[in-house]
Amino acid sequence: MTITVVVLLVAPLLAGWLSLVVRRSALLHAINLASMGTIVTAEIAITRTVLRDGSFTTLDQLVYLDALSTFILFIIGVVGSACSFYMRSYMDEQVARGAIAPSRLNLFFFLFHMFLLAMVVATVANSVGVQWVAIEATTLATTFLIAFWRRRESLEAGWKYLILCSVGISLALFGVVLLYYSSLHVLSDASQGLNVTQLLPVADRLNPHVLKLAFIFILVGYGTKVGLVPMHTWLPDAYMEAPAPVVAMLAGVLEVVAAYAILRVRMIVDHAVPFAFAGGLLALLGFASFVTAAFFLLIQHNYKRLFAYSSIEHMGIAMIGFGVGGPLGTFGGLFHLLNHALAKSMAFFAAGNIHRRFHTVEIGDVQGVAMAQPWTATALMISGLALSALPPFAAFASEVQILTALASQGVPGIEFTGTEGMVTVTLSDQFGRVALASVFLVSAVLSFGGLLYRMTGMVWGTPPEGIVRGEVWTLGHLPIILLAGALVGFSLFLPQPIQQLLERAAAILVIQ
Amino acid sequence: MPVLSSIGSQLVNLCSALLLLTCFAIVAQRRLSACVDLFALQSAFLVLTATLVAYLTGNQHIYIAAALTGVIKVIIIPRVLKKIIDRLNVKRELVMYVNVPAGLLICGGLVMLAFFIAQPIIPLGSLLTRDSLAIALAIVLIGLFTMIARQKAVTQLVGFLVMENGLFLGATAATHGMPLIVELGVFFDVLIAALIAGIYTNRLQDAFDSVNTDRLTILKE
Repeated sequence: MTITVVVLLVAPLLAGWLSLVVRRSALLHAINLASMGTIVTAEIAITRTVLRDGSFTTLDQLVYLDALSTFILFIIGVVGSACSFYMRSYMDEQVARGAIAPSRLNLFFFLFHMFLLAMVVATVANSVGVQWVAIEATTLATTFLIAFWRRRESLEAGWKYLILCSVGISLALFGVVLLYYSSLHVLSDASQGLNVTQLLPVADRLNPHVLKLAFIFILVGYGTKVGLVPMHTWLPDAYMEAPAPVVAMLAGVLEVVAAYAILRVRMIVDHAVPFAFAGGLLALLGFASFVTAAFFLLIQHNYKRLFAYSSIEHMGIAMIGFGVGGPLGTFGGLFHLLNHALAKSMAFFAAGNIHRRFHTVEIGDVQGVAMAQPWTATALMISGLALSALPPFAAFASEVQILTALASQGVPGIEFTGTEGMVTVTLSDQFGRVALASVFLVSAVLSFGGLLYRMTGMVWGTPPEGIVRGEVWTLGHLPIILLAGALVGFSLFLPQPIQQLLERAAAILVIQ
Repeated sequence: MPVLSSIGSQLVNLCSALLLLTCFAIVAQRRLSACVDLFALQSAFLVLTATLVAYLTGNQHIYIAAALTGVIKVIIIPRVLKKIIDRLNVKRELVMYVNVPAGLLICGGLVMLAFFIAQPIIPLGSLLTRDSLAIALAIVLIGLFTMIARQKAVTQLVGFLVMENGLFLGATAATHGMPLIVELGVFFDVLIAALIAGIYTNRLQDAFDSVNTDRLTILKE
């Protein structure tokens, strides 16, 4: 397995450095697709091993893979390959239009590969510290991708993203330091003191007070990357300004990886601290994000920002699932991460196509996509329906799972230990459960209306004067069709390996 | 060696306190280049603290971290920042969201808050470096405050670097250094982040004719 893991890590690294020296665009794309293919192959091999033997560590304990990290790798692989195909037509057109100087193309690919590498490292790392380094590296790799157009707006979005995420991530580093601080008293070998494999067996002996503090810092820090309210302010700007393939990666993968980092620490914290502490905090931020985003969805007049707020909404829903916990809530949360990643990357591919044709991001100025770009319109409708969680789509299933878990278990109470003694807030009695479920449903209906109303307005009608009608088939349409197939297909039939991965990953997160 | 360890502990506390003191100086300073100098001074104190801890605990890898801090935070990053400031048309922070006396008062409050948060977990630490964790948290919070209270991209960057110094102090003093691979990674990230922010400052200057981040208001609801 060591070789497979090495291949997984070396492929994007090598592709990145090769991209720097290569000039021809066709070759750059070939390198990208080859590296993506290698990554996916390695991931399939890893998935088979993990499903057969359970978890394993390799490379001198640096790499730890279990069902949860393999599941995240799977999302990286699917969205990453979809992006690579989409980039084939997208980037060429931007170069032909003169929006990107051909000489800057290799910089784009270099940063893209480094971004991918950082996310893979963050997923497979055993040490929480190495994971932190990798997640900060994703910020550094993507900030110039977000500001790639070099307009004033893009610079503003890139700067905001860099500063807010770096600050958030610094707070997470303080959490990592605290985690290490707590492990020093328990573990004899300090050099391994941040490894998940070392921490998990002794987790119940770690100091609960330090762990609580560590979890708060890590939740706020990585929560900034996930885009949870109130640390979300960079997100709509970045999603509006970044090139479409980059946004698809940010929304589809980066958020998932950051959420995964929170879940990893939470696994350790849950052993020493009552489950209600971490669960309550996650659910609190989840609800804040869900409700806030639902209202902002209603007032958007820019379709890229619309999708950005929909991202905040869906990550909020997933966090509610993880916060409520239990087998059902956790499974629903993980499944929702997958569904959102597929639907959102597809939505941004469609948005990229529309932007290239209509040259505007205003919803009011876009009409009749169905006539101008029938394929894109179909993609937009499918992703819109999936993101509104309508029944034929898998997102509906995962949302219902989370709602069921919420209505039956409620949110675990948060205990505040102050000088005055113990104050317990309980949101798991009957009234609390009904109230929370109602808030969930109302927000779901609001976002459903907000999203679908705007989308139908864009799809139907007649396109404005001067918009070319008809759509030429390109390689960029391939990922759209595959993603659409997956979105519809997963709701009817979840392939056996994916279902096993999901169930085992949920089992890892649920502490008996 | 109880005498040596108690003197050592006092020395570590003294150095950590000096780090905190430079934070206040940065908050009180309006001139951009002086802020950068103060940051370099703070990093020098950090090197001193780390070397002390390394000597007193005998952990060899802290020497490496201290040397890297010296090279990156005392020499390279201040130089880069100075170069950037030379290019700018404004050398002083003209308008501040919070004026200097109020800023200093808030920072005093932040120090108390940090000690309050860290109080329950301080007894867990080794005798040598007990109070440094609280001081580290205070420095992180003051760095965060500087980033919020200042307008210039350069001072915001200095605030970020001050935060990193606080984190490094926490990692060195409270836990005697993180595993080496993590520390190397953190240094790499900080260096790249500072360079990237430097490039941004130049581009912002070109695009907006200013590095006032309050000009960055095109994107909003």
